[in-house]
Amino acid sequence: MTFYGVKEIGCPQVLASLIFIIEDATEEIERQDEIVGHITTCLQCAQELAHERFTQSFLIQSLRRSCQEKAPQGLYESIQNQLLAAFAGSGQSTEVVTTFSMTEISIEIDEFGNVENHEVQIEQTQIQRIEFTDSSDGGEK
Amino acid sequence: MTSKDLVLENAADRNARFERDAIVFMDQLYAAALRYTRNPEDARDLVQDTYMKAFASFHQFEEGTNLRAWLYRVLTTTFINSYRKKQRQPLIANNEIEDWQVEKAQSHTSDQGKSAEVEALENLPDSDIKNALSELPEEFRMAVYLADVEGFSYKEIAEIVGVPAGTVMSRLHRGRKLLREKLKDYASELGYSTDKGSNNVDGTSKEVSE
Repeated sequence: MTFYGVKEIGCPQVLASLIFIIEDATEEIERQDEIVGHITTCLQCAQELAHERFTQSFLIQSLRRSCQEKAPQGLYESIQNQLLAAFAGSGQSTEVVTTFSMTEISIEIDEFGNVENHEVQIEQTQIQRIEFTDSSDGGEK
Repeated sequence: MTSKDLVLENAADRNARFERDAIVFMDQLYAAALRYTRNPEDARDLVQDTYMKAFASFHQFEEGTNLRAWLYRVLTTTFINSYRKKQRQPLIANNEIEDWQVEKAQSHTSDQGKSAEVEALENLPDSDIKNALSELPEEFRMAVYLADVEGFSYKEIAEIVGVPAGTVMSRLHRGRKLLREKLKDYASELGYSTDKGSNNVDGTSKEVSE
């Protein structure tokens, strides 16, 4: 069936779109309805999709099984140490962000009755760090 | 005039949150770093750099959003920006997106071809699977790893790697295809025939009578 001069979807186009179906991304393909329709009527394409799905899940299992390395001994400690140094740098402080915003509206009416409208927006942001001098180490928050 | 005071999270609380929430991904990030760098020393450094960078910009991370994906993004960007330059790996062609869907007239696989492929995959040792993955060009390797091992969606991968979703799809498609071809090669070295004609397991070739 050909309509509006558009060529009917063939097996090669369907096969090239299988990844979108497998990735659950059919919304990304053009003419998705025709492609899905083709698969329901073409046995070979349906089998190909089933095979791709099966092989893909198998591939995922094999990859996950093989790629399970644990981080080497000592990596945790060195990250921990670097973080501690960074924590010390970041200090015991609280940030206070203060935002001021102000709108100035002025209306002028001149002697001829013309109305002029002015609006000025002023904004200012300030970040303050408040350091705590309290150095008690009683684990209190 | 209005004035708003927003007291942000105390730095000490934020540090504690980082330790609690981010460090648990260390093993996973290390495994990913191994796939990216293909060498344990670089992988170790990459993970360490990733954590320092992540910590430095942790205040920008929105609580409640996906921390794991965010960490992978930091890892991937760090890798692309520094380690890749060091490793000098040739990148794949620029026209990767345009021609992938039409690259070859695709045709159906025979039933024998299908079962032979599955059988070959079933019998491969982990080391062959890792080697095959490490032989993929970097962009393909990253996409396949993030999707198939880490389980990220193609949209998440697009965010992590910083490329359009269509590019991720193309890399996944071509990367998996290439990986399967490589796995078949490893399998046939082990004596599993993946030819369409026969799928014998003992390595001796079966006579096919015409």
